[in-house]
Amino acid sequence: MRTGRFSSLLITLALVLASLIAVFPIYLAIINSFKTQGEMFASFTALPTSLRLDNYTEAFARLSMMSSLANSITVSVLGIGGILLCASLAGYKLSRTPGRLSQFIFYLFVASMMVPFHSIMIPLTRMAKELNVQGSIYGLSLIYIGLGVNMAIFLYHGFVKGVPRELEESAHIDGCNEWQTYFRIIFPLLLPITVTIAILDFLWIWNDFLLPLLMLTNADSYTLIISTNKLFGEYNTEWSLVLAALVLTAIPVVLIFMFFQRYIMAGITEGAVKG
Amino acid sequence: MMKKKGSVLVGLVLSLALLAGCGSNAQTGTNDGSAAGGEKATSATLKMFIAQPRFKEQYDAHIEKFKAKVKAEKNIDLTVQVEMPNQDNAAQILKTRLASNDAPDLFVIHAINDIPQYSKAGYLADLSDQPFAGKLLDSVKPAVTNSEGQVVAVPLESLSWGYLYNKQIFEENGLTPPATLSEMEAVIAKLNEQNITPFILSYKEAWVPQLFLPLTVGAAIQTEDGMKDFVERMNEDKGSFSEMKSMFDIIDLVNSNGTDRALEVGPDDGAAAFAQGKAAMWLQGPWYADTILKSNPDIDFGVAALPVSENPDASLINLSVSSSMAMYADTKNKELSLEFLNFLLDDQESNVLYEALKFNPIATVHTFKSYPWVDDATAYVQEGKSYQDPRIPQAVKDEVGKALQSYVAGQMDQDAVLKALDKAWKDYNKVNK
Amino acid sequence: MAAKSYKRLLSLAAFVMPAFILYTLFLLVPTIGGMYYSFTDWNGLNRAYEFIGFANFVEALREDPDFVHSLWFTLKYVMFMLVLQNVFALLLALFIETKFRSKGLFRTVLFMPNMISTIISAFMWTFVFSQVLPQLGERAGLGFLNQSWLGDPGTSFYSILIVSLWNGVGYMMIIYLAALQGVPQSLREAAVIDGARPWQVLRHVTLPMITHAITICLFLTLNGAFKVFEVVYGLTGGGPGRSTQVITLNIYEEAFSNNFRYGYASAKSVILFLVILIFTFIQISITKRREVEA
Repeated sequence: MRTGRFSSLLITLALVLASLIAVFPIYLAIINSFKTQGEMFASFTALPTSLRLDNYTEAFARLSMMSSLANSITVSVLGIGGILLCASLAGYKLSRTPGRLSQFIFYLFVASMMVPFHSIMIPLTRMAKELNVQGSIYGLSLIYIGLGVNMAIFLYHGFVKGVPRELEESAHIDGCNEWQTYFRIIFPLLLPITVTIAILDFLWIWNDFLLPLLMLTNADSYTLIISTNKLFGEYNTEWSLVLAALVLTAIPVVLIFMFFQRYIMAGITEGAVKG
Repeated sequence: MMKKKGSVLVGLVLSLALLAGCGSNAQTGTNDGSAAGGEKATSATLKMFIAQPRFKEQYDAHIEKFKAKVKAEKNIDLTVQVEMPNQDNAAQILKTRLASNDAPDLFVIHAINDIPQYSKAGYLADLSDQPFAGKLLDSVKPAVTNSEGQVVAVPLESLSWGYLYNKQIFEENGLTPPATLSEMEAVIAKLNEQNITPFILSYKEAWVPQLFLPLTVGAAIQTEDGMKDFVERMNEDKGSFSEMKSMFDIIDLVNSNGTDRALEVGPDDGAAAFAQGKAAMWLQGPWYADTILKSNPDIDFGVAALPVSENPDASLINLSVSSSMAMYADTKNKELSLEFLNFLLDDQESNVLYEALKFNPIATVHTFKSYPWVDDATAYVQEGKSYQDPRIPQAVKDEVGKALQSYVAGQMDQDAVLKALDKAWKDYNKVNK
Repeated sequence: MAAKSYKRLLSLAAFVMPAFILYTLFLLVPTIGGMYYSFTDWNGLNRAYEFIGFANFVEALREDPDFVHSLWFTLKYVMFMLVLQNVFALLLALFIETKFRSKGLFRTVLFMPNMISTIISAFMWTFVFSQVLPQLGERAGLGFLNQSWLGDPGTSFYSILIVSLWNGVGYMMIIYLAALQGVPQSLREAAVIDGARPWQVLRHVTLPMITHAITICLFLTLNGAFKVFEVVYGLTGGGPGRSTQVITLNIYEEAFSNNFRYGYASAKSVILFLVILIFTFIQISITKRREVEA
């Protein structure tokens, strides 16, 4: 959109202001994480006098950073992979199949998005125990797939409507069976929404608190958020240590997003060229 | 290119997920099977639930000793899985686990607040004939005994408390802990004169203002005519908190002489402020000793009884037991669990544990030198100026915390608070018939 | 003919089954379980309980002023979020769209808060509200900063709103951005050449082409705002008193503190579920009509 120079400046200003607000608490967390307790209470907004890494080394050890990180990554990758596969298949098919049955199933999925987590907590834990998937991060991933497909199906379902049917029909004429059509033609076209879903689910799973808290009993299988929360409890008055832990917890997410951002661009560009 | 890679990747991931899911099943299966004790080097797993992450090091050390002992005596390679969630999620997690048949073998609950309900639901094993039961002090034993007279837990943290005061500030101003309301007013006047804030107020978490209730009710039951059976009458829907209206005398006095932003200060921040001498007194128990000393190792503080009226005999120390370890009634590791419970009060090792935790002595085996604030309270107790914490239902305690927050925020007046408490107790009676 | 519809059914089943099985196990069955408990007096702890019909529902709506208060409070929160979150997100998305070189930077920065878990954001903001802002206000002489952000029942609503928006706008912004990518540049340029003003381009070209995104964002906001928990839990815990208690917090309190009335709490969850269902139905039927018109 072409805009005048003045309004362009205004827009830049607005964006800069919004960015400052977005960054402000994070900035505070970072600068204070380098300070000693005394230095911090003297002034929260002053820059640290030196780059003390003590808080970080301690937080790193206390969080069992490497194993927590590995657990978080495992759960996220398995959970998201499963959601994308299951939901894109289902969302595509439900969107393309007319009739009451498919509509009923679709609305069943959609309605379940409104179920408050607290109301299923105890029955869910029972079920997990029953199926023996409790206590392990692999079991947790399966549960995430079960809880996450509904929203992903909802999003895929809507997106598929915008994909022209002619493509499938011509693929069908070319002799592709349904699965081949799906994986070769349809799934690549769903890339933009797939990336969106992957990001949203990543943020959900990576940052989720209550479910892993209930499912994981063993400190070896704790995810990063659970380890961080545990650290709050252990060192509740040592703000600077806790802030260092917060920063450590956030770093992987920021890195992964940076990586994803390029991927989004690629996905969207490709989609645009083909579309 | 992209599409192929994508689908292969997704397929791979999913099959991995499924495989991995199966793998974990098999693993848990074998674990359960090998839990019972045997002759050759066997392995076993004990699950514990201790919602006190701030004491992680101390508990871990004790558990390590226990593992070594079990290995030496029984040749069992013991694995102990300790779950230490934060206090505020603890009840939720524990109850979810119990309700879904996934109970830990041993778990820590609150003696006064939790034992009645957990015991009634049948989750607590009877421990009366365990060796440790004989070692418990008489002042502590009632708190871990259920209504059928069974000992159902090992007390960990016992409390003798009123409020905390900064001894240095008191000494510098020639003050001693007051015994009546008007003496308290004099102390406050003196402190104000010196520009010292009398009280730390930290009401962000509702359980802190809640502390007024056991103190005022406990003292009233002990000293006022016709109040002796207050709890019993309330349990039968025959009493009312309007009899307790005088509790606002001390509540108002404290609240109008405290630090700012009461509703935004959490207990940990309150502890830090108290440690730094930002006020002379803090309505809290010595269970914050560890946190206070972490913030300022040199602080000299004591425990005193809170005056609630003009009767000096009504300034009493509240005796209570909070964290206590119970055993799941249907545990599959009964033998080892019992052994661990007894090991908590082991003749030698127990001293190390309780002292490191800065808990009070609770058993005859405890010979460690107690902390000064414990001695303060003991002095009251020896004069007979103490009482056992009244069994006010947890639901009412929760309610009073919230109601007093609203009272401080100016959203509820005294009568509204008392009415809310009456309703909470009536609801409790209705639900727990 | 019959064989063909059978085959079609089979193919539907094959595509939907993986999702449906996991969904049934971990969401559908537990949901039904929760609904079942809502008709009982189970306290979450006892092994025995009784079936008591609709008594829980009647009590929640008739005799529980705290629950009704939390219902209204949540409704107020939802309305503010619905408007503010989407207006901010759409504006930011549109603004970012006009930038070329700094697009990626702004997108990353503005999305950053969303990457931080709500529990942790609430913790960070508690630090800001209770420590940093008062100190700043005092030193810079900006009196309005030095107020009771979390302790005053009136102000804390806005504090909760600030943190929710801080945390949530990025999420919606990304969806709007993705949708805006789908609006052909040529179409907008054509409109500009035809002499349309930016506002008109937005109203008549851009918005109609992203109605689907608007539907999704409104739906997600509505759904998320009704179920808000962690932000309020972390910032005020529903306090002081119960002044900022949202429904989920009220349910949580009922189930896990107080009298442990899990059955009663489940009944409240069912009510919440129905409320969300009704609101969503209304919202979707309105926006869908717009979509069709567009």
